[in-house]
Amino acid sequence: MIAIEKVGKNFGSTTVLDGVELAIAPGEVVSILGASGSGKSTLIRCINGLETVDAGRITVDGFDVAEKAGLAEARRRSATVFQLFNLYPHMTALENVMLAPTMVLKRPRAEVEAEARALLERVGLAARAEAYPAQLSGGQRQRVGICRALAMKPRYLLLDEVTSALDPEMTAEVLAILAQLAREGTTMLFVTHEIEFARRISTRVVFLEKGRIEVNLPTAEFFSEAGGLANPRIARFLSRMAAPEAAAPLSPAPTDAHEAS
Amino acid sequence: MAFDLTVLVPYLGQLADGALLTAEACFFAVLGSFVCGTLAAFAATSAEPGLRRIAGAYTGLFRNIPFIVQLFFFYFGLPEIGLYIDAFTTGCIALSIAGGAYAADVLRAGILSVDPGVVEAAKVSGLTRLATFRLIVLPIALRASVRPLGSVFINLILTSSILSTITLNELTGAAKIVASTTFRPFEVYFVLLVVYAGLTYLMSLAISLLHRRLNRYMAEG
Ligand SMILES: Nc1ncnc2c1ncn2[C@@H]1O[C@H](COP(=O)(O)OP(=O)(O)OP(=O)(O)O)[C@@H](O)[C@H]1O
Ligand SMILES: [Mg+2]
Repeated sequence: MIAIEKVGKNFGSTTVLDGVELAIAPGEVVSILGASGSGKSTLIRCINGLETVDAGRITVDGFDVAEKAGLAEARRRSATVFQLFNLYPHMTALENVMLAPTMVLKRPRAEVEAEARALLERVGLAARAEAYPAQLSGGQRQRVGICRALAMKPRYLLLDEVTSALDPEMTAEVLAILAQLAREGTTMLFVTHEIEFARRISTRVVFLEKGRIEVNLPTAEFFSEAGGLANPRIARFLSRMAAPEAAAPLSPAPTDAHEAS
Repeated sequence: MAFDLTVLVPYLGQLADGALLTAEACFFAVLGSFVCGTLAAFAATSAEPGLRRIAGAYTGLFRNIPFIVQLFFFYFGLPEIGLYIDAFTTGCIALSIAGGAYAADVLRAGILSVDPGVVEAAKVSGLTRLATFRLIVLPIALRASVRPLGSVFINLILTSSILSTITLNELTGAAKIVASTTFRPFEVYFVLLVVYAGLTYLMSLAISLLHRRLNRYMAEG
């Protein structure tokens, strides 16, 4: 279980997370929605220890990420997939996937390689195992990124807008893999702007607004008129996300983050 | 006296010995300066302010003192406090330390150009700081740094001629002796010129190969 307890985070004088309470139990797929700047990425970065929290506590299976030993253990139990892939550019797809299992878990190479190849095969990249990131398309890179995360056999998968740098076709190929993972019961914390997809795969939806959790509801309830849609901010957010192309040229400035209040 | 290289034939062995000594010293100096430079660059880019300060002091100091002064200090100064090191070793150490100060700056710039997202990926995967540096940061930094590092190494070859001032008969030292015995400085230093140019050319060739190898399949950062 990932337990986020009253977490607060400031960058200088701006409060980015404010009293965030959230628990992710094994088997859940929790989607995090929210406007740009609402703190979604920061929340993920606090869980994997890339940022330290200023208040409250985050534990992964009881291991406190604020402690050195706790963080090391927490990082073994979770894996992160990044928006911009962040693959190691000097290593092949296969080497990218194999690095952490061999170096961190100290597992035997042959075994790790067999598993890595199986993972790449599963995402349709068996033939590209020896390719370098620069030789792959964006969608292929992100699929390698997912394999790299899965190679650690994490209990929790943290995903931060993993398709937002991809075109629709590549997005579809990556989402198909995530849907498959969700069906298999992989626990995921999933930051996304793909509302429809979130609705399809998640068990719960969290709406973040200015660093606070505005609602945290089971998926069906979140998208029901009486549930999440009853909240005007969420209704507005969802309608805006539904037709982003139509909205964009009309709005004179990106007002996402500051509008509501 | 006409230009006549054949007068040097009897001294070829002596000159070749000198060239070999230069090559050896340069080999160790390149390795040593790479090690010193890497350590200093690691310190310079670390989150530890203490380490950063030490690295800053090292590069600042050794880049701002004439090499010959550093060399004399090590060779003539240290015995005064009871530290005796032979000329060859002293020369290699002095070149490594001085070259390392320049290599550190070059590597530091390379390290700072590494995509922070890639480093974060390594971190959250659980790699230790040292493993992240060795397996991710340094290899990526070297892609950009290998050419300017080549200039540092070439300078090291040129600077190695100063080792002749501490009784080391490397190429320049040997040439001085041959010139004074033959009274043919024009021919001797002509040969010297060609040999140094050859050594530095070999170095730049090696660097080019290394650069190409490190940057294969890296069309984009
Ligand atoms: N390292 C940082 N230093 C200062 N401010 C930061 C830093 N990282 C994030 N912020 C600020 O924190 C706020 C929340 O950022 P965050 O990236 O978490 O938002 P987000 O919900 O992920 O947005 P998006 O949907 O655009 O990715 C923003 O106002 C951002 O400018
Ligand atoms: Mg974000």
